[in-house]
Amino acid sequence: DQVFRINVRNGDEISKLSQLVNSNNLKLNVWKSPSTFSRPVDVLVPSVSLQPVKSFLTSQGLEYEVTIEDLQIYHEMDNIASDFPDLASRVKIGHSFENRPMYVLKFSTEEGVRRPAIWLNAGIHSREWISQATAIWTARKIASDYQRDPAITSILEKMDIFLLPVANPDGYVYTQTQNRLWRKTRSLNPGSPCVGADPNRNWNASFAGKGASDNPCSEVYHGPHANSEVEVKSVVDFIQKHGNFKCFIDLHSYSQLLMYPYGYTAKKAPDAEELDKLARRAAKALASVSGTEYQVGPTSTTVYPASGSSIDWAYDNGIKFAFTFELRDTGTYGFLLPANQIIPTAEETWLGLKTIMEHVRHNLY
Amino acid sequence: MQPRRPPPPIPGSGPWGPRPVAPLIALLLLLAPVVAAAESESAEHPGQPQDAGLQRRLLQQAARAALHFFNFRAGSPSALRVLAQVQKGRAWINPKEGYKVDVVFSTERYNPESLLQEGEEHLGKCSARVFFKNQKPRPAVNVTCTRFIEKKKRQQEDYLLYKQMKQLKNPLEIVSIPDNHGHIDPSLRPIWDLAFLGSSYVMWEMTTQFSRYYLVQLTSVRQWKTNDDTIDFDYTVLLHELSTQEIIPCRIHLVWYPGKPLKVKYHCQELQTPEEASGTEEGSAVAPTELSNF
Repeated sequence: DQVFRINVRNGDEISKLSQLVNSNNLKLNVWKSPSTFSRPVDVLVPSVSLQPVKSFLTSQGLEYEVTIEDLQIYHEMDNIASDFPDLASRVKIGHSFENRPMYVLKFSTEEGVRRPAIWLNAGIHSREWISQATAIWTARKIASDYQRDPAITSILEKMDIFLLPVANPDGYVYTQTQNRLWRKTRSLNPGSPCVGADPNRNWNASFAGKGASDNPCSEVYHGPHANSEVEVKSVVDFIQKHGNFKCFIDLHSYSQLLMYPYGYTAKKAPDAEELDKLARRAAKALASVSGTEYQVGPTSTTVYPASGSSIDWAYDNGIKFAFTFELRDTGTYGFLLPANQIIPTAEETWLGLKTIMEHVRHNLY
Repeated sequence: MQPRRPPPPIPGSGPWGPRPVAPLIALLLLLAPVVAAAESESAEHPGQPQDAGLQRRLLQQAARAALHFFNFRAGSPSALRVLAQVQKGRAWINPKEGYKVDVVFSTERYNPESLLQEGEEHLGKCSARVFFKNQKPRPAVNVTCTRFIEKKKRQQEDYLLYKQMKQLKNPLEIVSIPDNHGHIDPSLRPIWDLAFLGSSYVMWEMTTQFSRYYLVQLTSVRQWKTNDDTIDFDYTVLLHELSTQEIIPCRIHLVWYPGKPLKVKYHCQELQTPEEASGTEEGSAVAPTELSNF
């Protein structure tokens, strides 16, 4: 689904557009009608109608631009919030470089109190599509299992859950429209033809240390300074302002790994033993669903050294339970994981997430 | 600087020479993965908790390099294997020369959707000696694997694939395989397998003790010729290198006939400067590495 912003310059063009919108089979939806000729019209075009609509607009000489690509995730977040109004709400925490909104879903059973909270982060690397997909599935799972599943009910009775399914919206749109394998943000780098910084090297945790690059053309370019990427800054500001987060989980793909700090050093984190034990339990729970095996360990030795990462920042800022999931698979499809693996991946990951969240709930500090 | 003392031998690993691979005895296969960090080692090199991790990674890298080479040398698109598990091994690091690794690992069929043939084992087993030399551009590999599929059967399957490929319409109208959602049309599967086979040669040459490659996507087919019996395939793939996270476009030209050794030439693009680089060759600053193997 896409939103087309169509420039209508005169009455003739308006009538052509009406003709298009009124044709039943295309199932178009006008979001913003023109009040004057100089204002553009926003029309929601379902995926199946994209080709015919584009052809029509071009052949009629109507100027248009595609604004928000693939609204599915934002729509679904909205749906969840309206289906479960007493539990879920969609909160805007900021915007991206290209001015797209950054939405989180907040799950809370008690308003007006800043409860100990869990942050679920997804889609920070835009090409890792299983991450955003798993996150949005998980969102609905949290909402529908509340008061049905004792574990999640108990968690939500004491804690809030914040879920950010698309931490890098500009990158995500870019993977849908231009380059399926785009990883970074889409911020401009002055003096360089290369675009974007790696948002998971941009956090203030040994920023610009090893495992990151100072070359804007690199996939692991850390950016000009910590939190230079507005997408990262939005999360940092929100979490710091809140001040009561106890758990931060970041979803990535691929490799089937469950990791804890640190990435920026090979030194053991003070809580490494507890985190390791918990991660192993979570990996075991995950494997119990379909036999999917995860390797567990600290980031730097399990995958590679990486500075400026989200979970290292979270951990060094008092959020003890900080984990990274590298979801399916181990390289057969890699980033291009087939759609028929989305639900199995989400279902097994859910058990891993629950194991962690339950432990946090029973070990609040 | 003193070269690092080699880690003590892992219990159960045999003498240095390549071990003859015994016929499969299921129980013996399932050895627990071994991690080598020894206490004495840590005392001599303080602050190296990564020893265990380093060992494991080296064994995995060696296994990958060995498997890429094995797939290439077998020249069989119907019998491609991927790494299942590293079972045991041992690594020697000599900063002047390079890294030498002995490794034993299990493998499984590349095509996870295909059904197991009658008499075919799910897991194969390989043992390899891999030398990541500092000077030489590609890892030296000596590898032996158990036969997981009977030779005659493999040849039959290859020939079937070959016939399927010869039926394909020329010129091939390929957008990308898999598509952006990971889907491969069954009729195009043989092309993908052949592309993977050619890519194995490339990935073998490029794998080091630090970098590992995965095949992401076939993005274009420049030429698909099937005259004079062989299949002449000129195409571009995208490889993903895990430690740098870079996507590397490689143009590959292979010539294949079932049962004959695979002939491959290739050129991979180095770190792309314009971020739009999508497999085209202009502006590459690296001299082409045209390597043929016969």
